[in-house]
Order: sequence, then structure tokens, then C-alpha cells
Amino acid sequence: MKSTGLAIGLGVLGVVFLIIGVLYAFGVLQIAVSDPHATHHYTHLILFTVLAVACFVAANFARPKGTVYVTDRPRR
Amino acid sequence: MNLWQALFMGLLQGATELFPVSSLGHAVLIPSLLKWSFKQSDPSFLPFLVLLHIGTATALLVLYRQEWVALIRGFFSAAFRGQIQTDTERLAMLLLVGTIPAAILGVYLQTRIKSLFASPYAAAAFLVINGALMIGFELLRRRAERRAAVTASSRPEQEEHFAQAERISFRAAAIVGACQALAFLPGISRSGVTIGGGLLAGLRHQEAARFSFLLATPTILGAGIVEVPQLLSSGVPIAEYLAGAVLSGLAAYASARFLLRYFRSGRLDPYGIYCIAAGLVSLALLHFNL
Repeated sequence: MKSTGLAIGLGVLGVVFLIIGVLYAFGVLQIAVSDPHATHHYTHLILFTVLAVACFVAANFARPKGTVYVTDRPRR
Repeated sequence: MNLWQALFMGLLQGATELFPVSSLGHAVLIPSLLKWSFKQSDPSFLPFLVLLHIGTATALLVLYRQEWVALIRGFFSAAFRGQIQTDTERLAMLLLVGTIPAAILGVYLQTRIKSLFASPYAAAAFLVINGALMIGFELLRRRAERRAAVTASSRPEQEEHFAQAERISFRAAAIVGACQALAFLPGISRSGVTIGGGLLAGLRHQEAARFSFLLATPTILGAGIVEVPQLLSSGVPIAEYLAGAVLSGLAAYASARFLLRYFRSGRLDPYGIYCIAAGLVSLALLHFNL
């Protein structure tokens, strides 16, 4: 499924995941954490970074590709 | 935990991790049955198990070193191109899709699951459930073989009618990945549920095992990255634990090679029967305090 809208949506979602990961890392977000007294939640940072990467990859897949021009020049 | 206990646990974990019999279940049950003095509820016990898992993951990395190099290259090629062109690129993306559900469930269920670690009864009960799952997977597979009218003369020929790991669908990869989270329960085998999931998705036994082993590596390494700093800060004997991890890796390497050969024609049933028997015997031993 190729769509510019979908690609943008996935890209935005990736950015949101990155922000959430950073907020967890600095202890600003304390939702569903094993130790609420901890000041850093690096586990969540790793998870949300992986999710963000997956979103960016998916966005690149969803992006409609431009026309590919094939040159008639022979390869050396 | 002394050196011999750490080495025994390493050998046990490495030998059972890739077999569909739940290494975690064995690691929780056996010290209890042997009445060893170290506490499984100790905060350093889970990181120790994770350190042993890293030994296993290292063994898998060594076993599949060439494939991992190709997969990482394939991942970046497909990610930047925005298109999958080869089987290796497809497999790399399947592994990413399969890893995400396990990572989410692992991070958010970790605390609740930790509380189950202190209970060998729970591990024994889950071991029985794991055995039933293995037998169930094989029953469903046999039904699929009958439906596909697979009437080959030998088991390897029969297996040829099923697919390679690269052909699994992305939805199936996500479901198999999510099944990995079940293995956070001591007694449920990660490799068992992922191999079973692969079989239901139409893979050959050997290919289901290969997909399971490849899927295990990032999950186990990820869990290790998270837990090992806790181990280092908890003041436990690191040298003994590292020796256990090395032994775990060696045992895992040998068991992975054995299993890949076994699954050319073998099935999950023997492991299912073993798990049910081991779980029931453990429950009896724990109940009667023998």
C-alpha cells in the first residue's frame, strides 16, 4: 500500500515514539514502569527507539516512489 | 551461588534454552528441587539468568554469523531503498516485525512476570502446559499434512512440501514474535512456541527452528542489555557468573547444531511428552516436599 499520507503519518508516529523514549529516559514519563522511583528508564528508551526506527522504515516503504529513469548508457 | 552451582546452571540453561523444554522453567525448578540455598526471588537471580541467555545468544550469533552479516546488510539496503528485493531482505524485515511485539510485551509485562519467578509450583504447572502446547502444535501440523495430501515416502520428503522461513507472512511473523512473550513465564518454552507458531504458519520443522533461533538473538540480547547493569551493581560474584555464561554458550551451540539436524525429520512430540512428565513429577516432588 503506497500513499504519501500514510508515509507522513508513519514518519510523525516515529517522531512521537522518539519523543516518548526521551521523556522516559529523563524520567519525565512514569507510566507503566517497574520502578517509579527510578530517575531514568533506559529500557523504555530502547523500546521506543526500536519502534521509531520501525516507523521510519515503514514510512519509507509506504512512500510512493518516483519514476525510475533507466539510462541507455552501457555500464562499465 | 558458588562456582559449581553457577557452572551447573550455565550448562543447564545452555542445553535447555534452544530445546523446546523451557530453560527458564528448569532454571527455576531444579534449584528448588535440589534445595539449593540461593533465593530465586533475589534481585540478582533474573540478571544472572539473563547473563546465561547472553551466552546462548552469543552462540547463536557465532552459529549464524554469516547469515547475520547478510541480514544486517539486507535490512539497511531494504530500509533505505524502501523496497524488498531479495529473500534475505525479506527475512531481515520479518525478524524486525517479529521482534517488536516481544519487546513491547517484555517491557510492559516484566514486573508482573518477575513475581512468578519465585514460584517453582508455577514453573512446574507451566511446564505441563508447555508440553500440551507442543503436542497440540504437532496435532495441528499433522492435520495440515493430511489436508495438503502429503503422501511422501519419508519424513524429509514430506517436509519438502512446506515453506522456508523467508516465505512466512508478515502477519504470521508478528504473531510468532508475540508468542515469544509467553516465554517470560517460567515453564513456557520460547523456542517451543515460536517453532510451533512457525509450523502453523506452514514452515518446515527445520526452517521453523531456524526462524526461531534467528528471532531469539535480538530478543535475548535486548533483554541482556537491560538487565546486565543491574547484575554488575548488585555485588554478586561476576567471575563465577561469567564462567556459567561461557558454559551456557558452549552448550547452546552444541544443542543448536543437534536440533537443526534433528528437525530435518523430527517432530516436537518427544519434547511435549518430556515436559508433561517433568512438570507432573516436579509438582509431586514439590507437593510432598521430597
